[in-house]
Amino acid sequence: MATLDLTSISKSFGNAAVLHDISLAIRDKEFVVFVGPSGCGKSTLLRIIAGLEAATSGQIVIEGRDVSREHPVERGIAMVFQSYALYPHLTVYENIAFPLRVQKLAEAEVRQKVGRAAEILQLTDKLQLKPGQLSGGQRQRVAIGRSIVRNPKVFLFDEPLSNLDAALRGDMRVELSQLHRSLNATMVYVTHDQIEAMTMADRIVVLNAGRVEQFGTPMELYHHPATKFVASFIGQPNMNLVPATVREATGEGVTVELAGGHVMSVPVEGHAAMKGAKVEVGIRPENVTLAEGAGLDITVNVLERLGGVSITYGTIAGGTRFCATLPGDAAVAEGRNIALAVDPRDCHVFDASGKVLRRRQAPALVA
Amino acid sequence: MMDRYTWPQTIGIYACILVFLTFILLPFFEMFMASLRPLEHLFRAPYQFWSDDFSFGAYSRMWDTVPLLGRYIFNSVFIATAVTAITMVFVVPAAYAYARLDFPFKNASLAIFLGVNMFTGAVLLIPLYRVLRSLGLLNTYWAMIVPGVAFLIPTGIWLLRSYLEKIPRELEEAAYVDGATRMYTLRRVVLPLAVPGLIVVGSSVFIGAYAQQFLFAITFNQTRAYQPLPAGLFEFIGYQSVTWNEMMAAALTGVLPVMLIFLFLQKYLVAGLTAGAIKE
Repeated sequence: MATLDLTSISKSFGNAAVLHDISLAIRDKEFVVFVGPSGCGKSTLLRIIAGLEAATSGQIVIEGRDVSREHPVERGIAMVFQSYALYPHLTVYENIAFPLRVQKLAEAEVRQKVGRAAEILQLTDKLQLKPGQLSGGQRQRVAIGRSIVRNPKVFLFDEPLSNLDAALRGDMRVELSQLHRSLNATMVYVTHDQIEAMTMADRIVVLNAGRVEQFGTPMELYHHPATKFVASFIGQPNMNLVPATVREATGEGVTVELAGGHVMSVPVEGHAAMKGAKVEVGIRPENVTLAEGAGLDITVNVLERLGGVSITYGTIAGGTRFCATLPGDAAVAEGRNIALAVDPRDCHVFDASGKVLRRRQAPALVA
Repeated sequence: MMDRYTWPQTIGIYACILVFLTFILLPFFEMFMASLRPLEHLFRAPYQFWSDDFSFGAYSRMWDTVPLLGRYIFNSVFIATAVTAITMVFVVPAAYAYARLDFPFKNASLAIFLGVNMFTGAVLLIPLYRVLRSLGLLNTYWAMIVPGVAFLIPTGIWLLRSYLEKIPRELEEAAYVDGATRMYTLRRVVLPLAVPGLIVVGSSVFIGAYAQQFLFAITFNQTRAYQPLPAGLFEFIGYQSVTWNEMMAAALTGVLPVMLIFLFLQKYLVAGLTAGAIKE
């Protein structure tokens, strides 16, 4: 049972506060991804969990034990670094064996543990090579091997795939997910790549400017983003945010007039006082279709035909950019005006402070 | 390619190299020529570059003129080696501390080290003499080794620190997360990776030690058996005549070990001086 609880973690470097009062409860065997733009504090938070940095205030509890002042080894964590941090002068075998050598284990035990790790990671025939002779993916596996020989309670990954090329990254994502299942361990993973977050995570922590924007499953974040920031961070291409004015608002729904004049009633929980307020309507590119008749009018500027889909970048009258993912054979062309049909039930409404209005008819959550 | 030059530029570059090399190498060449000439030819006027009676006789006679010559050469190498070894023992942990740890007056003390280097040993000879006398080290090998070490530590720290700073911090963090202590990390991770840097610093300290021993030898040591070569060369100056050709021969023979070491380590020196300049 390796639960990881963070209580009111704050961190400042001098006068610059990078983390503000972060509390998270990570469950046993959970794969949690910290995601956010660069500089949001996600790596610092991971380093605090690892024990490489001390939090200015707050508590780290692993398995119910306060480890805030303990050494990484006593905490029972292992970390995989972005640059792999392999020792270039040691063989793969010695790299993986390094934590065991520190513990001064007997050679037979070392050989057995390294052998098992190498087997899991398919490195058995590479053990006598130096890291310089390996490909990026293999180096990454050696780094993971070094973390698993010690049987830690919590694995920490600091952007481990960002140095790999796109194809390999896809493969490693699958491998890491399988590894998580076979090791049955709690894992915390930092990335700036929302696709990695969406595909691997049990739950995602979205960080922005040192604060937790939202902590939830990938589908919660996708269908019920708590803030405009989460909404635009999750999903590819990014969610469109169209300025709008509230014409009428009740607990049942909000009628808005989008920039460009399109009017629709979105089934979100509003209140009468919102009438006349400026809001933003979030519409995902994948939730629009070409309209049969009238709809949301956009002028197509750039068209990317990917075969299966055509990603259409355009502008709404008034200059707001709008992106739509249309079928591969959609009858659109650059420079043309098209009308898009939007189902109001797929839309999100964000108030002036960026907070979402609760959706009343959202898709059932994936458990 | 960045290093394409037009032919006038190429000629200019080679001309400059020629001028510099002439200044540096001509004394060595003249030393060698002088060592080959019979003594009376050295004073011949007008100067005659080529003589028919060149011989390597000076190279065998010098051992008779100065019987302790072999000992002097040994002393030179021994003192320089001892200075290098002791200096490295101090420089390695100090440079690591400056590269990685935070402590009060870190930058101030580094600046002071650099400042110390601005004083040549000559300025401090008299105070040093008193210190060594109080410690009872005059007329021992230590009289040349101790000040040698003291003067070479600052440069060593500066050189090695910048090398150690280029070793990725993540490697040490990884070792730390895996439970390794600082000393274990230094021994198993940092030093093996710093070998080229250690060679660079070691050889530059050795050269420094070889070059500076003359001053310390003639001031702090009167014992002939402990004299290094540069001081020992004085014995070629006799009461009636100076056997210049033998002195030149002895000087060249004494410089030879250093030159050989340099030839072997040259590629490390170049690699070390440019390490980290580009992303690998």
